[in-house]
Amino acid sequence: MKITILNGNPNADNVKFDNYLKNLSDLLESSQHTVTILQLREIDIRYCIGCWGCWVKTPGECIVKDGSRDICRECINSDFMLFASPVIMGFTSALLKKAQDKLIPLIHPYFEIVQNEVHHLSRYDKYPLMGLLLEKGKDADEEDIKIISDIYRRDAISFKTSFCFTRLTDDAVEEVANEINRI
Amino acid sequence: MKLTVFNGSPRGRRSNTKILLEHFINGFMTTDGNTYELAYLIRVKDRDNFIKLFREAEQVLLAFPLYVDAMPAIVKTFIESLEPLCGREGNPDIGFIVQSGSPEAIHSRYVERYLEKLARRLGCRYKGTVIKGGVEGIRATPVWMNKKLFKSFYKLGKSFGETGKFDEQIVLNLAQPERYSKFALWSFRLSGKIFYWDKMLKKNNAFEKRFAKPYAK
Repeated sequence: MKITILNGNPNADNVKFDNYLKNLSDLLESSQHTVTILQLREIDIRYCIGCWGCWVKTPGECIVKDGSRDICRECINSDFMLFASPVIMGFTSALLKKAQDKLIPLIHPYFEIVQNEVHHLSRYDKYPLMGLLLEKGKDADEEDIKIISDIYRRDAISFKTSFCFTRLTDDAVEEVANEINRI
Repeated sequence: MKLTVFNGSPRGRRSNTKILLEHFINGFMTTDGNTYELAYLIRVKDRDNFIKLFREAEQVLLAFPLYVDAMPAIVKTFIESLEPLCGREGNPDIGFIVQSGSPEAIHSRYVERYLEKLARRLGCRYKGTVIKGGVEGIRATPVWMNKKLFKSFYKLGKSFGETGKFDEQIVLNLAQPERYSKFALWSFRLSGKIFYWDKMLKKNNAFEKRFAKPYAK
């Protein structure tokens, strides 16, 4: 599989988190996967301002020439995408959310009915499966993890895909790699 | 009563959120002695001022559009900046408004759970979350078409200004439809909701490219 890991760790001093992802990536590559880690904090990403340019001016592409174009290209051409972030104030980082808000060029403005709800239409024929990896940190509890996971399950509907799992960096990296191998 | 309003729309002063807030605030200000302050979170450089406003606030109202099933990143940035204030003695009461382009309230129910927990995390008394779907487009439609919606937000603000609470019945009504019925979904499919997008696509000479897949390999 082609795997893209979006590293939403905003803090370069949090070496432990980055190392975890590096170990995960190495393990996955040893199982013949191709892995790209996107270090979001090193990529110039402007906030999405809801201009709809990516839907009605330059369909499929953000009108702002920032790093989000490469992120979109990388994600849509993957088989699996892993959203990875420390839990900060009960949610994934603003950095990861900034990148996610800029994935909307990948879907279409038109509507369709999915699970008896109104959602946007697909733009592409195929979308990567999704997983979530969280560092629980000092103040997050089970309830937070459940709230975040449920929101990411909704994201999977929005991004025309399936949500595979939520894992914590407390889990052994081999377990997470195995979980991905089973997909 | 003093109300501190944070507009969390990435569109700032050109947002649907701003329009809804205006009606809320107009209602709120009908009570003598009420005052308010309003800050736009899109001005991310004003971060220190936002924290100061929050610290000094009695009642906070945070309003934002639903972005990818949750809060827009600028709102999360703001929330992260409040981390040092968690559990501080004297934190304000807090209420939220979440509006979405999607017509049903169900889309916003997940972030509502987050917001309720956020209030607890901060140690703020939680005033509730007002959810309103189907808001995209109010900027572009004539006022008379939105008269009922604006009146609801005015009344919501008015009762908040009088009681310090969101009126439960108005909140319930605004959240309709929670989900569409099978019949409503069927009519929605036929209702030409794509017209809104086609009009803009054509205006930008992008209609022919509307199904473009620029990143397909």
